[in-house]
Amino acid sequence: MNDLVLMRKNLFRRPVRTILLIVSILIAFLIFSATMSFSKSITTFNSKPNRMVTVSKINFTESLPIAHYDKIARTEGVSVATHLNWFGGYYQDPVKGFMPVFAVDPETYYEVYKEDLPLAENVKQAFFTERTAMLAAEPVAAKWGWKVGQKVPMNSNIFSQADGSHVWDFTLVGTFPTPPGSSQTGSVLVGYKYFNETISFGRDHIGWISFLTKSAALNDQVVNAIDQRFANSADETSTQDEAAFNKAFAAQLGNIGLVVTLVVGAAFAAILLIVGTTMVLAVRERTQEVGVMKTLGFTSGRVLRMVLGESLLLTLIGAGLGTGLAALALSLASGGSSGGPPIYFDLSVIKWCVLIALAFGLVTGLLPAISAYRLKIIDALARR
Amino acid sequence: MASILNQIGTISALNVRSIPQRLAMSIATVVAVALCITVLLFFLALANGLAATVKGSGSADVAIALREGSNAELNSVITREQVNILASGPGVTVKDGAAAASAELLVIVDGIKRSTQTKANISFRGIGPQGLAIRPAARITQGRMFAPGTNEIVVGSALLREFAGFEFEQTIRLRGGEWKVVGVFESPGAVFESELWADVGVLQSLFDRPNIFQTLRVKLNSEAEVAAYADWAKADARLKQLQVLSERDYYAQQASQSTGAFMIIAWGLGITMAIGALSGALNAMYSSVAARAAEIATLRIIGFSGVAAFVGTLVESLMLAAIGAIIGLALAFLFFNGRSTSTLGSGFTQLVFKFELSPSVIVSAIVLALVIGFVGGVFPGVRAARQRPLLELAG
Repeated sequence: MNDLVLMRKNLFRRPVRTILLIVSILIAFLIFSATMSFSKSITTFNSKPNRMVTVSKINFTESLPIAHYDKIARTEGVSVATHLNWFGGYYQDPVKGFMPVFAVDPETYYEVYKEDLPLAENVKQAFFTERTAMLAAEPVAAKWGWKVGQKVPMNSNIFSQADGSHVWDFTLVGTFPTPPGSSQTGSVLVGYKYFNETISFGRDHIGWISFLTKSAALNDQVVNAIDQRFANSADETSTQDEAAFNKAFAAQLGNIGLVVTLVVGAAFAAILLIVGTTMVLAVRERTQEVGVMKTLGFTSGRVLRMVLGESLLLTLIGAGLGTGLAALALSLASGGSSGGPPIYFDLSVIKWCVLIALAFGLVTGLLPAISAYRLKIIDALARR
Repeated sequence: MASILNQIGTISALNVRSIPQRLAMSIATVVAVALCITVLLFFLALANGLAATVKGSGSADVAIALREGSNAELNSVITREQVNILASGPGVTVKDGAAAASAELLVIVDGIKRSTQTKANISFRGIGPQGLAIRPAARITQGRMFAPGTNEIVVGSALLREFAGFEFEQTIRLRGGEWKVVGVFESPGAVFESELWADVGVLQSLFDRPNIFQTLRVKLNSEAEVAAYADWAKADARLKQLQVLSERDYYAQQASQSTGAFMIIAWGLGITMAIGALSGALNAMYSSVAARAAEIATLRIIGFSGVAAFVGTLVESLMLAAIGAIIGLALAFLFFNGRSTSTLGSGFTQLVFKFELSPSVIVSAIVLALVIGFVGGVFPGVRAARQRPLLELAG
């Protein structure tokens, strides 16, 4: 019988207690991996270091004249630029059917976001050339039951057509998959030309400009060139890289990092106390046994390692289950739906879970391990 | 009957008084319950405070018109012609020959959120000459109201608290023009306090939105006339595509949209942490029963019933959970109740509000704690009641 078997037997000698401890550890790691994944999902999307955005300096909801686009596209250091308009789209119901619909310049948009738009050649051509073409993220099309080729009546909660109608008929020409972290998660794309020709106000204005620089090393130079170009005009600009823009946007919700830290801290503190005190009790109950083991020739070091090993084993089982459960829950939550933010299980969380589990196991096992280490045979056998 | 109650009283007292002997595990349970309750209270107080502020913004006797389906002021569009028709509708209060109506335009400008030092969406509202009159709760507390037709701004006091960039007497450059902050206003517990206000005509011309408004607010003679006014507007072909409802109903809708996600987070995290705390409570109570095995056996032999042993264990567990709940509530009152914070509201702009523990929030938290205590005591209690006295003493 090796030590590992002994540890396992010790761990499960009171199965109810051990299962309860595993459940509580599982809870702590479930909360940790789910909230970390959540904050990561809403702060970072697939962003490229050389992908930048230019928005109005007043606020990103303020539109810019279309003339800005040509000037930015021709700025030295910019390889390709595209422009986007927020359509304010909803399908059927203004609240439940709300979705991010963007009116974009198809060819250049594809160039800027190629990695996240795996389109078949015929779909690409249809999107580029058909006036009413629309592309949708696969889960969005699936949720609303749209089939490729069908007409989709899309409402705008902002814009109107000349006849006062708020509905545009678009033709779904294709869909694209949105794996975790895709910059296109939940998106619906329509053509700017059709949009611009049919809106009754706001014509020849664009929401913001997204572009690639020839290299990320040129970013600062390009930022200065663009923002200075429009300084002191009626439509001043603010240019920054995509990741910084997304991060600032997420920060509008609140200090997410701080809240996540506090919640995770509370969960771990509570569970640490529960597991720590129970481990002390579990080893104290075995005082006589430890005495017997030492009498049989188990060294103090070996006893210490066995207690530590037991708490590590316990924590790793709980952590593994908790992290697995978080991955499962998040994949169920993100599959199919399109309304909420794109939340996915972040793989980098696993590394942290392992590190925290090791620390947690050592901390909870330390006290009982040391007392078992120090225990004298005579005291152990005398204790009842 | 009396004797069973006596027995229960005796054993409960015995259990509770012996808690110090099992101090470490009892403390662990209390702390776990307390932290669980604190987390639940944090998000419930957040959702509750946010909802209270949004709901508190609407008056029942003010009707608001906005484009149908726009779902938020920011998206809405109303023309000057429609504004003129609406202002002359039935039941609109007229004072000194002028209708109590304010056609408004909302644009978003960047402010700096003090807590994160990042850019945030601030509501910049252009209001009509009657804008202040139809919001009786709002009053200038520092400086003065903006002068009509000028580039002057008044700033909400809640906005000043949470965001930088619009301090009193500061000059702000926007779209090549200079604006001066000439006053500070308060409108307690309303979204307006998170806004900047200026003259709507000046805002229209400087932001290049000639003759376009987003909403019209009209004060009616009484709350009862809102329905008739809305029906009248619906019947007029020139006002088709518009939606008219009471300002109170409008903000009630906005409130439920703003708080849904926070309620899900509150209960999702609260219940998850409660399961963790429950595991701790069960463990502590099973250990308590095991530690007191000889004691329980003795009591049974001298005539105490199994029911009393069961209830005694339950009381101990409920006691631990109740202490946890009290500590959790104390932490909430100490650290976040009444604190000011801000988030992106359903109108896509920052909303300043206060964490607010309402009686129903407190009751929810106490109920959750007692559920933990109850479930945590029932199973170990059954074990205590089922113990066979002789066997335990022999061991």
